[in-house]
Amino acid sequence: MSSKRHSILPAVSAGPKPPVRFSSSITIADSALLTGTNLITISTESVIHPRAKLDSLAGCITIGRRCVVHERTTLGAIGTSGKVTEQAVTLGDYVTVEVAASIEAGNTIIGEGTTVGVGARIGAGAFIGKHCTLTPHTEIRAGEVVPDFTVVYSNGMRRMDKRGVADLKNKGQARQIDVLRRMIPSNPAKFT
Amino acid sequence: MAPLNPYTYIQCPCSDSASLGRPTDLTSPTSADGDEDNTFDPRAPRANFSLYPLEYLLYCEDCHQIRCPRCIAEEIATYYCPSCLFEVPSSNLKSEGNRCTRSCFQCPICIGPLSVTSIETPPPSSTLLSPDHAATPHSTYSLICSYCNWSSTEIGIQFDKPNGIHAQLAKLRNGGASRLTAKERKERRKELSHRGGEAAVAAAAAVAANESSGGQDVDLETQFANLKLFCNSQLADPSAADNGFSSLGDLGFSSPSSLSRIMNLYTGGKLHDPRAKSKLGAMREALAADEGLLESNLNESSLITRLHQSDFLDTASSTQICSQPPNLGEPHLHGASRFNSSLRPVPYLLRTKRSKRCPVCRHIISKPEAKVQTTRFRIRLVAGSYIPSISIRRLNLPGPNGPAAPAILGDLLDPLKPVHFLLTFKNPIFESLKVTLGAPATTPGRFPSKVTVLCPQFDIDANTDVWDEALKDNDRESSSRSRRRAGTESQFQVEVGKIWERGRNWVSIVVEVVPASLKLEAGQDVLKEDEDVLEIPMFVRIEWEVENGGDDATSGPGRDKDQKEKRELAYWCVLGLGRIKQG
Repeated sequence: MSSKRHSILPAVSAGPKPPVRFSSSITIADSALLTGTNLITISTESVIHPRAKLDSLAGCITIGRRCVVHERTTLGAIGTSGKVTEQAVTLGDYVTVEVAASIEAGNTIIGEGTTVGVGARIGAGAFIGKHCTLTPHTEIRAGEVVPDFTVVYSNGMRRMDKRGVADLKNKGQARQIDVLRRMIPSNPAKFT
Repeated sequence: MAPLNPYTYIQCPCSDSASLGRPTDLTSPTSADGDEDNTFDPRAPRANFSLYPLEYLLYCEDCHQIRCPRCIAEEIATYYCPSCLFEVPSSNLKSEGNRCTRSCFQCPICIGPLSVTSIETPPPSSTLLSPDHAATPHSTYSLICSYCNWSSTEIGIQFDKPNGIHAQLAKLRNGGASRLTAKERKERRKELSHRGGEAAVAAAAAVAANESSGGQDVDLETQFANLKLFCNSQLADPSAADNGFSSLGDLGFSSPSSLSRIMNLYTGGKLHDPRAKSKLGAMREALAADEGLLESNLNESSLITRLHQSDFLDTASSTQICSQPPNLGEPHLHGASRFNSSLRPVPYLLRTKRSKRCPVCRHIISKPEAKVQTTRFRIRLVAGSYIPSISIRRLNLPGPNGPAAPAILGDLLDPLKPVHFLLTFKNPIFESLKVTLGAPATTPGRFPSKVTVLCPQFDIDANTDVWDEALKDNDRESSSRSRRRAGTESQFQVEVGKIWERGRNWVSIVVEVVPASLKLEAGQDVLKEDEDVLEIPMFVRIEWEVENGGDDATSGPGRDKDQKEKRELAYWCVLGLGRIKQG
């Protein structure tokens, strides 16, 4: 990668290098952005895309197994409250956070198998259950609770996902991670 | 308040301008033009329906007239499905309705497109460790929405084949039970009549039928078939149905025989037909469910309790219910559900490509390409290539206090302070245009603003080739600048009767406006919506000459070919300039 910057925006101040605990099998792109002061934990086989931003200033960030965090996402964005909690953001296993989604810090929990759509925003302290689908540009307010298997679509309408394909989806996720691992050059050493 | 971008609307001459005008005896003074009795009033309620932006208008080349969407005859060229882009022949349309009969469906919840996916039914021995050979020999398919994750399995519908979904769905009822075929219905009826054979009275049979078929579960199709069969049997053999009720039925006012008797009284026996009367007299109404009678079920308590238990989001919205296609396999009177959980996939509504004709001369004005995949037009005569476009810009002149502040788009207009607007007319045709403008001295309405068109008559040069002009003007670049009417010293002065600036095929003129004060006098109503918008009606008359040749040559054989023919077009337009500052 060339070192020349094409962006006209000022360089993001890297801040302090956060303490990290990486599993040996993760894939993390060289240009991912890890900042903050608290611990960032990434578990087995998870993939962090380039330019994903993980900010642990407001608490620890824990990413479960086989998660995919896409480009330009922000995990642990300091929201309006700016409170510091022990756990900022917790992603369960098999969570996908799609491009440009933003998850605020403040003990926000996202359950297993949930997909956070493109450009979605999750407020501080929200609790998203297991196997939920948040469609693109969904907004979940701070502190809201989304039960398991909920689909949030079209400006906050909600319905239950009764397809019963959670296992299939997890299998698909594992296969996708296999591909991504070959596509994204991993450099965990940069962050440790 | 939302800022207002200047706009130009053109009134299609198809609407009668005389009826749109404001009566002259109202508070607003009469228009300045002597020959024009009525000024077009853009605020008249009917004006809303005749004003169009230039882009919406078409032009008939034979009538030399503007045509708006209101005065155009449309005809449908092709029907096609917007999802699979397949053209549907109109013969199919009559037999199969206006929905796509291939496998194109919309999600009933979120209108997203549905896709057919196979449901893997894992064998009992399969575990997560052996995921790849889970494909069983007999797999079923369902429709799945990829946006809201709705699946047709939610209403219990699965398909055996991945193609021909429309035909498969038509046979299935919600819950997966297949619709009764005509044969099955006949068998069931035979069974019923067999059971009810002992009971001679029809009412007893009705009770039995209610019990056996579950009363309200009778679907629309079965009910219709029952009723049809009953009526046919009555018409064919009236005496057979004579089971003691006919004498009673004859007395009732609603019975066909008494009706025909009453009709006979009024029509003087013209309807009298002894054969028909004897037949009608013997007919009775359906009395039982197997004869097609559907009792109304007024006890909706089960539905109400279900509504109590459910969430608001579980009930279907009216648009969702309206978009549902008619389903013959469902109970139609009381069983029709109000819940999301019973909505069926919606086959795509077909769309059309239409060609447009002039209603007067029947010439085609717009004709799309017949192929569904292309978006091009074979013929499209848009008004923008025949009549000049008008663009509006605010002109800020430097006053004695120094240079003018730059005009901000959507800036509010100060009342009672003269402002200047630059109107730029652009000629799209290859002949030079002679334009005459007419505007009332004051705008119609409660708040008359003063309007002065400084140059109401001017010529616009023809729309010649851009490069011709560029090459010609190459050597006199400076002179093209000096085509601006005023020299550098008097550049910023507005002169009456002179155009402001002219270019290859455009001319700018200045309009001076003194916006009215919006102060309400005692006894006046409050300001209505958009009454603060300054709108000027303007009558545009364009004249041009065409060479009397080409396709017109045949029409006038006696005429000299070199002679030029004069054409003219006149129409009202409305210029929206901006909002006037209130208070």
